[in-house]
Amino acid sequence: MGPVELLHMSVFSQSFSPCGRFLAAGNNYGEIAVFSLSAALSPDSTALNQKPVLTFTAHEGPVFSLLSTDCHLLSAGNGEISAWSWSELTKKNVKPLWTRRPNYKSSLEIPEINSMTINSRDNSLVVGGGDNNIHVMDLENGVFKTVLQGHSDYVHCVTVREREAEILSGGEDGAVRVWGEFTGNMGLCVFQVCARPQYGKWISCVTTDSDWMLCGGGPSLSLWHLRSLSPTSIFNLSGCQRQAAFHQDLILTVGEGAFVSHCLLGGEVKAQIPCTPQSLNTLQLNNNSTEHRVLTVGGSSDHIDVFTNLSYRAFSLRF
Amino acid sequence: MYSLYLLYLNGCYFARIPDEVIRKRLLIDGDGAGDDRRINLLLKSFTKWCNSPGTPEEGFTQYQRMLGILAQCEFSMGKTLMVYDMNLREMENYEKIYSNIEQNIASAHEKIAECKKEIQRAKRIRKNRQEYDALAKVIQQHPDRHETLKQLEALDKELQQLSHIKENVDAKLELRKKQFHVLLSTIQELQQTLENDEKSDNDDNSQESPAENGE
Repeated sequence: MGPVELLHMSVFSQSFSPCGRFLAAGNNYGEIAVFSLSAALSPDSTALNQKPVLTFTAHEGPVFSLLSTDCHLLSAGNGEISAWSWSELTKKNVKPLWTRRPNYKSSLEIPEINSMTINSRDNSLVVGGGDNNIHVMDLENGVFKTVLQGHSDYVHCVTVREREAEILSGGEDGAVRVWGEFTGNMGLCVFQVCARPQYGKWISCVTTDSDWMLCGGGPSLSLWHLRSLSPTSIFNLSGCQRQAAFHQDLILTVGEGAFVSHCLLGGEVKAQIPCTPQSLNTLQLNNNSTEHRVLTVGGSSDHIDVFTNLSYRAFSLRF
Repeated sequence: MYSLYLLYLNGCYFARIPDEVIRKRLLIDGDGAGDDRRINLLLKSFTKWCNSPGTPEEGFTQYQRMLGILAQCEFSMGKTLMVYDMNLREMENYEKIYSNIEQNIASAHEKIAECKKEIQRAKRIRKNRQEYDALAKVIQQHPDRHETLKQLEALDKELQQLSHIKENVDAKLELRKKQFHVLLSTIQELQQTLENDEKSDNDDNSQESPAENGE
C-alpha cells in the first residue's frame, strides 16, 4: 500500500468483535483490516501494535458497511454480502463463509449496499442499498424473504427499533420511513422542519433508542419522539452529520468537520472533540467488552482515532 | 580484620558462628576501626598488664585506664542495643502504617466503585429529565386542554341552539304547507263545483230551447 493510496484512503465502516478485543475496519479500496485492541490498549504497546494484525481484500468495491453478530463478521461490498468467522479471522484465515447477493431487478447495474443491520426479533438481516429497496434476509437459511419498496431514491441507512421490531430507513429522497408489521409503511417528513436547502434533503444517518430517533444529513440533525412522531430538538451543527449514536445521557455524532460532537438531548452542543481525519464517516462504541470500552472514529484518512476517555483522543490506529 | 580471622578460626574449633553474623560484622565494622580495635587494644593491654613487671602505681594507672576503656566499650554496646530497640519499634510502626494504607486503598477502591454506580444512575436520571423536557417543549406548543374543552362546550351549545331553531322553522314550514294545501284543495273543489253548476245550467238551457223550437 503505497503512500499515495494511504493518502486517498477513506474508512467507511467499523465493527467490534463479539469478544470486544478486535476492531474490523473497511475502507474504500475494498479491504478490511483487523486491529487488536488488547494489544493497542495495553500499557506496553508500541507503534507496531497500532497497525492491523490482518489486512485482506474482501470485495471489489468499497466496504460501506460492517456488522458483527455473535460469531460472524458481515461485510457489504459491491452489491454482495460476505460473512467471515471471527475466530478464523483471529487465526488469519481469510476465507469467507458465504457470499450472497440480494435479488436485484436488473442484472446489468449492481447497486451498492450502504447499510446493514440485524433485526434480532426474527434473526434477519436488513440491507439497504442503491436500488431504492430494503431487502430482508433470514440469517438461518440465507433466503431473501422480503423486499420493502417505498423509497424513491437510494437508501442511506437502516436501523431497527428493538421493542416494536420496526425498521427505520433514511434515504436520498429525504424521507425517513418506518416499516412495521402493524404500521405497514409509514413515512416521516423530515424535510420541512429542519431543512437546510443549501445541503440538500438527503438523510444519511438514522439511529434509534426505541422511543427516540436521531436523523440527519442534509437537514440538521434532529431528535424525534417516535410515539408522537414529532421533532423535539434540532441541533445546530454546521456540517452534515453522517453517523450518530446515543450513549448514556449524551448524543455523539460525527460528520463533516474534524471533530466528534457531544450534544445533550435538549439540543445544545456540549463539546466538539478534535480528531485526525478531516471529515468523519463512522463512529462506533465498544460495548462488547468492559475493559476495552473505547470509542473509535474513522473518516477520510487512513487513521482511526481511538478515545479511551470521551473527552480527548488517546491515539490512532493506522491502516 | 585479623581479629575476625582469629575469631573465625576459633569458631571452627569452638562454636559454629553463622555466616550471616560474619557478613554483618564485616559490613558494620569491616575496617577494624572503632569498637573492634578498642576491644583488641584492651585485650593486648590486659595481657601486657598481667605480664608487666612495673611499679604498683603504674600497674594501678594501667588498671584504671583499662577500666576506662572497658566502660567505653560497655557504653557503645549499650548505645547499639538501644539503636537496635529503636529500629525494631520503627519497623513495627512502619508495619502499622503500611497496613493502614492498604486498608485505605481498599476502601478508596470501594468508594470509587460506588461513585461510578452513582454516576451511572445520575446520567440515567439526567437523560430522563432531558427527554421529559424535550417532550414538554413540544406539548407546550399545543393549546391547553381546558381551553379546548371550553371551546368545544361553547360550540356544542351553539350547535344545539341552531338545531332547535332549525326544528322550529321546519315545523312552521310544515304547518304553512298544510294550510296552503287545504286552501288550494278547497279552491279547486269550489272551482269544480262552479264548473259543474255551469255545465248543468248550460245543459238545462240547451234542453229547453229544442223543446221550444219543436212546438
